[in-house]
Amino acid sequence: MKRLAGWMLSSPATLAVSLFLIIPVAATISATFTSPGGTFAPYGEFFASGFQRTVLWRTFEVAAITTVISLILGLLTAYVVSRSPPWMKSVLVILAVFPLLTGVVVRSFAWLIILGRNGVLNNTLEWLGVIERPMALLYSQTSVVIALIYIFIPLMILVLIGVLENIPDDLLQASSSLGASPTATFLQITLPLATPGLIVGAVLVFTASFTSYATPHLLGGTRQMMMGTFLHQRAMVSFDWVSASTVAAIMVVVIVTTVLVMTRIAKRLNPMAS
Amino acid sequence: MTHRLTLSLATVSAAAILAATPALAQSRTFTVSWWGFNGDALQEIIIDPFQEMCDCEVIFETGNNSDRLSRLQLREGAGVDVIYLTDRFSQLGIELGLFQPIDRAQVPNIDEIYDLAQAPQGEYGPAYSIGRVGIVYNADEVEAPITSWDDLWREDLAGSVSLPGITTTAGPMVVLRAGARAGVDAYEDPDAAFAEVAEIVPNVLTNYNTGSEMINLFSTGEITVSMAQDFALGRLQAAVPSVVWADLEDGAIATLNTINIPTGSENVELAHQFLNFVLSAEIQQELAERGVDAPVNNGVDLTEEQAAPWTYGDEMIAGLNRMDYVPMNANLDDWINRWNEVFGM
Repeated sequence: MKRLAGWMLSSPATLAVSLFLIIPVAATISATFTSPGGTFAPYGEFFASGFQRTVLWRTFEVAAITTVISLILGLLTAYVVSRSPPWMKSVLVILAVFPLLTGVVVRSFAWLIILGRNGVLNNTLEWLGVIERPMALLYSQTSVVIALIYIFIPLMILVLIGVLENIPDDLLQASSSLGASPTATFLQITLPLATPGLIVGAVLVFTASFTSYATPHLLGGTRQMMMGTFLHQRAMVSFDWVSASTVAAIMVVVIVTTVLVMTRIAKRLNPMAS
Repeated sequence: MTHRLTLSLATVSAAAILAATPALAQSRTFTVSWWGFNGDALQEIIIDPFQEMCDCEVIFETGNNSDRLSRLQLREGAGVDVIYLTDRFSQLGIELGLFQPIDRAQVPNIDEIYDLAQAPQGEYGPAYSIGRVGIVYNADEVEAPITSWDDLWREDLAGSVSLPGITTTAGPMVVLRAGARAGVDAYEDPDAAFAEVAEIVPNVLTNYNTGSEMINLFSTGEITVSMAQDFALGRLQAAVPSVVWADLEDGAIATLNTINIPTGSENVELAHQFLNFVLSAEIQQELAERGVDAPVNNGVDLTEEQAAPWTYGDEMIAGLNRMDYVPMNANLDDWINRWNEVFGM
């Protein structure tokens, strides 16, 4: 009876996920297996192209770099926030979340203004005498990574604050009283216990970066094409829906594989992590 | 309790009446798909008076050529009554079977427009405006004036050029100009044409996809030279007054902006009326004078100052290079792949 009630309670959510996620994704991907060239022909064509392999690798690279830097900066920030007095903690959390109150396009535009040839950074460096003429910073992989970190790091910080706050102070005090240095306590107690949060944060940032469209479009331009912008080109410009579906399917596979690998790593680092 | 119920019912009834009022006042909606460029002026010059004429509510779908055409394709030609596109994309729409022939008897003003605008793509939509693709540059930043398409390859322009993306109206024209530079027909010998495209890469900071993007690149100082359509010149010069239109000895390239009626239009008769309205001398005159679009109606008379930004007058129109979009569309997929290889690696 209890089991039946559980099924009934979860059925609306299951139905919604099936209707709005699983069925559309399955329908999109199924188109790639029924092309006239053969079952896997669109995938063969995708990987036969050096340009398309470059786009896939570039997207993976950008998402991975963004995730690693967000992990490091996010962990440090969340650690400081979680150890702050309650009144300061509220202020810091609001500051961390504040960028989420504006859209991705607005936040990307902000970086256009900062990194532009006549932007804040170039003007400051010129004023300080560090450079003689403005540098071309936009439309590069670096500018995309910087903007993605800025856009997605609040997600990482929020997840990690929750995890770090739940680590009992008793454990840290015990570690310290047994002679462990603050670094050893952090590495041997805090970090393993924060692993589930690190994995969740990493998955969120990696997935969002890997599938992002607006930021690579605005800050990377056409010369730094990524999977999101490439998918848009195939679907909305070339009207080649099979090719676009192939790109979408490859993105799904990369993301699912990454999530599985990260979960496995998490279990290894911390067997209690789910 | 009764009082609260009565109040709630009254509120709901009032909301229902308010919601129903516009539907009663305007019996039908008419959907226009266009770029969204110069929206305020177009609202005043075209939409407000047309709404009064047709007793309809005009609603919009905006976006660039490819996005809107793609959306129309997904809806199999439905959801829009008239669609503005450049001739490159309207040709694509025709090939995709998304447009219906125009009943020219219902659009008498077609007889008043330039011959080349009347039926640029056969029985389908006429051109309501004619434009040019050429080169614009910041005269304060570029030392030697730009006088030919080949100047885009000049070494002194390294890292300061923006080209239109291959998926825009003007993008494939880069390939054709590259072919001309190599002395070949780009349709016949794409290898040679794209070898020249590869030569220009060091000069290109990024490719743009919309006119607004290109204007932003100029105004933020990222670029000093670009290929552009003349309709963007006014806004570009407002943002950066030192930008000039290059006087090219090998001629600018003509673009015809068309209006078509999709196959799924629910207001075909009204769509023909709209076409006739937009092509009338009065509307064309006002659009030109207000800096919105170049006229195609022979009855439009502009002063030298008013005509300055436009492709206007027999001599200028005769000097334009024309494009054949049928072979271009046939080669486009190959060109997009080659372009991606050149710029995206």
